[in-house]
Amino acid sequence: MVDTTIALGQSSRRRGLLARRLAPHLFTLLFLAAWQAAALVAPSYLLPGPAQVAWRLWLFVTSWRDLGHLGASLYHVAASIAISFVIGSLLALIPYYAPLLRFAIERRVGPFLNSFSAIGWTLLSIMWFGVTSLTVIFAISAVLVPFALINMSAGLANIDRETIEMGGSFTRRRARMFALVIVPSLYPFIFSTLRIMFGVSWKVTLTAELFGGNAGLGYMVNMERQEFDTATIFAAIVLIITFVHGTDHYLLAPLQAKVSRHYAG
Amino acid sequence: MRAEQESFTSAFAERLIGEAIVVLALLSWWFVARGLPEFVLPGPVVVVRRLIELFAAPEFLWNAFASSWRVLVSIAAALLIGGGLAFLAHGEPWLAGVVDDRIKPVLNSFPSIGWAILAAIWFNPGDFGVIFVEVAILIPFCLINIAEGLRNIDHELMEMGQSFTRHRARVLWRLTLPLLVPYGLSAIRIAYGIAWKIALVAELLGAPTGIGYLMLRAQTAADSTTFLATCFAIVLIFVAGERLVIVPLERRFERR
Repeated sequence: MVDTTIALGQSSRRRGLLARRLAPHLFTLLFLAAWQAAALVAPSYLLPGPAQVAWRLWLFVTSWRDLGHLGASLYHVAASIAISFVIGSLLALIPYYAPLLRFAIERRVGPFLNSFSAIGWTLLSIMWFGVTSLTVIFAISAVLVPFALINMSAGLANIDRETIEMGGSFTRRRARMFALVIVPSLYPFIFSTLRIMFGVSWKVTLTAELFGGNAGLGYMVNMERQEFDTATIFAAIVLIITFVHGTDHYLLAPLQAKVSRHYAG
Repeated sequence: MRAEQESFTSAFAERLIGEAIVVLALLSWWFVARGLPEFVLPGPVVVVRRLIELFAAPEFLWNAFASSWRVLVSIAAALLIGGGLAFLAHGEPWLAGVVDDRIKPVLNSFPSIGWAILAAIWFNPGDFGVIFVEVAILIPFCLINIAEGLRNIDHELMEMGQSFTRHRARVLWRLTLPLLVPYGLSAIRIAYGIAWKIALVAELLGAPTGIGYLMLRAQTAADSTTFLATCFAIVLIFVAGERLVIVPLERRFERR
C-alpha cells in the first residue's frame, strides 16, 4: 500500500487529524440542533424534542417497572441466543460426523429455515403458545438458528485437516478429540456467531415482544404507541441503540479480537 | 473410474436421504395435525391446496406483487444511500468518523420495529411508509458491505488507472465500480434475505396491501391455513427471486 500522507506537510496532517476527530462531535451537535428545530415545529406526539426524550430516558433508568421490561428483553435475548446456538451448532455438526446427511442439512433444512419469514414465526408461535415469554423466545430462536447453522458450518469447514490428523494420532476417543481439538479450533467462529446473533436478535426481539409478549421493551413500546406517548418510544429506541452498540463495541469486539489473535496464529 | 462411481453412489444416497427427510417431516406434520384442531395446526394437504388457490387468486398475486416491488425498490435505494455513505467516508477522510462512528452504529443497532412504529406515526399507511422502513433497515447492511469493498480495493490498480486518466468519473466508472461489483452483489444478496425475512414487519403496521398485511389479516381471523400457506408462499417467492434474479446476476459478473 502506498502511504500518500508522507507527501503532506506536518501541519496540514495535524489539521486533518483534528478535523477527523472533531467532525463526529460536530455532526452529533448538528443532528441534535436539527432534531430540536424540527421538534419545535412538529407536535410532540409526532416528534418529541431531545430534552424531552432525555428526561424520559432518565425516568426510565430510575423506574423499577421500566427496568423490569429491559430485564425481560435481556432474558428473551439471552435465552434465545443460547437455545438457537445449541440447535444451530448441532445441525452444523450432523453433516460433519454423518456426511450422508449433508444434502439434507445443507440443501433442505438450512434453506428452509433461512427463507422462512421472522413475522411468520412470530405470528405462528402466538397461535401455538399464546401471548407469553415462550412465544417470544421461540420466535427469536427460530430466526437465529440459520445464522448459527451457516456460521458454524463455515467454522467446521475451516478446521485444519492436519491438526485433526495429529489429534487422531494421540487419541481414538471421539469425545476427547471433540473437546480438545475441534471445539478450540472453532472458538473464533463461535465468537463471530454469537456476535452476529446478538445483533440480529435485538432487531427481531422487539417485534416478537410487540406482537406476542406480555413483558419486555417491545411490549412497553406497544402500550405507549397506543397512548401516543412518542417520547417513551424514542427513549426505548435510544436505550437499545446505546446498549447494543455499547455491548458490541466495548465488550464483544475486543473479546473477539483477543480470541481470534490467540487462535489464529 | 471406481472412485468416481463410488462418489456418484454416495451423492445419490445423500440426495435420497435428503428427500426422505423432507417426506418424513411432511408425514410427521400430517400425523401431528390429525389430532389438532385446524386453527392450531392445519394438515399439509389443506395448506398445499390453499397455497395453490392463493397463487391462482388475483388478490393474492396483486399483494405479492406489491410486496415484491417494494422489496426491489428498497434494495435499490438502500444500495444507493448505503453505497453513497461508504463513498463519502472513503473519499473525504474527515467524514469517515461521522459515517463510521455515528451513522453506522445508530442505523445498525436501530430496532426494526422502531422504524415501523415511527413510520406508522409519521406517514399515512401506504407504499412510501413501507419503503421508508425497509430502506432504513437495509442501509447498514449495504453500507458495511460497500465500505468493506472500498477498503479492499487494490491501490496499485487505482494508481495505474490514475496514470491513464485524470477524469475522476472515468476512473470511478471504469475501475472503482467494477472492482466493487462482488461486494455490491453480496450486499444485494444479504439485503434481499433481510428484506423478506425481517423488513416485512413494515407491512404489519403501515400498509393496506402486501403479503405482511395478508398474514396479519389471516392471523387475526385465526385462519391458520391461509396463514401457513402465505408463509410458504413467501418461501417460494424468496427462492424464486434468488434463483431467477440473484444467481444469474452473480453468474453474469463472475465471468468478467
